[in-house]
Amino acid sequence: MILVIIIILFFTAAATMAAIVGVATLRRLRAKRNAGHAAEIEAIDIEAFRNLANPVEETYLHDRLTSVEFRTVRRARLRAVAAYVQAAGRNAAVLIVVGESAMASADPQTVEAARQLVNQALMLRRNAFFVLLRVYVALVWPNARIAAIPILDAYGEMSGSAMLLGRLQNPTVPVRL
Amino acid sequence: MFQAHSFLWHYLWVAPNVLLGVLAGVLWKRKLHKEFRSFFLFAWFEFVQWLVLYPMDLLPRISAATFWTTYWVSEILESVLFFLVVSDVFVSLFSQYEALARFGKLLIRWGGALLIVTAAGIAAYAPAQNRYWGIQANNILEEAIYVVVSGLMLLLFASAAYFRLAWQHKVYGIALGLGFSACIHLAAWAISANRILPGSTHNIIDLIDMATSHVAVLIWFYYLLIPEKAPAKQPSVSLPENNLAVWNRELERFLQP
Repeated sequence: MILVIIIILFFTAAATMAAIVGVATLRRLRAKRNAGHAAEIEAIDIEAFRNLANPVEETYLHDRLTSVEFRTVRRARLRAVAAYVQAAGRNAAVLIVVGESAMASADPQTVEAARQLVNQALMLRRNAFFVLLRVYVALVWPNARIAAIPILDAYGEMSGSAMLLGRLQNPTVPVRL
Repeated sequence: MFQAHSFLWHYLWVAPNVLLGVLAGVLWKRKLHKEFRSFFLFAWFEFVQWLVLYPMDLLPRISAATFWTTYWVSEILESVLFFLVVSDVFVSLFSQYEALARFGKLLIRWGGALLIVTAAGIAAYAPAQNRYWGIQANNILEEAIYVVVSGLMLLLFASAAYFRLAWQHKVYGIALGLGFSACIHLAAWAISANRILPGSTHNIIDLIDMATSHVAVLIWFYYLLIPEKAPAKQPSVSLPENNLAVWNRELERFLQP
């Protein structure tokens, strides 16, 4: 038992050190390259994502398929949902950095748009974390229900803020986001 | 050289604590004590703790039992200050963002509660082998404190990395010093409290532990007293039109009532 405790303690110590090094690296990278982050944003087919997360489709499949087939199909759909949520989360992370960098702007409107963008991107990232947790639980236990609707709402709001920020920073370019 | 009461041992006990006293004084002079209240109290307490314990260790008329009892009581007070500092760092980091202010409070509340229960469980399994109850109690208490502090620092740094949070320079310095010392102390106290190495190596572990405190104090000195470099003028952030157009089309379709 003592050996297990010691291994856990050393693992915690090593994980803490790894997290510290991770944050230090992120800080250094952020300081070095603030520009060019927007290029990292992935396009996401939100409609396909919405279909995958639609409970009506799930019920339809549940009624039409045998339980073994349903579990197989559901796991495949859940893996696809996870991929979309991970992509949305990555986009949110990029937008947090872009928004934080835009907060240094002298224009108060840009600062306010950036602040809203950062807050909404953080909300999306938080939701993405919880949705992924539920998706992974559902992968183990396919009869569990998942709720991805809040993440869709946050994603929609975030796109509005990103569009406003784009317009404020490049008023001459008809940016659509 | 690596024995108790060697020159290195004296230096590593005296220097970090005196430096912390100086740091507390400078924070007071620069009126930073209002901004970092709990860290100021912590630095001041460490200095006073050393002022009491160091002479007690050197004076032959003070018994070992008295010394360890005093040490144990001071460790309890120190642990309260540790948690205040960690809690302040959480608040400083998360309260910058409306979206995460509540999440940060929940994280420290539930994370802290879970870690305290875990630390109590680990302490219950620590072997009792020392003839002075004070030494044993102190080892177990330190181990429990560092389980909680390390766990909280892990939560703090992991969530900051996940959310890509921007740290304030000074708050980052406090967290860095605390996190660095917490994980080394945790490993050191896990060895000491569980007696996994022969007694002859304990002096070296003690010295590593003391040297870690010294490094942490130097980190705090650097981040709290050296002003942050003014951020370079950021170029205008432009989002790539191609990606944005595709994204906008899909999102607008979704946002239609």
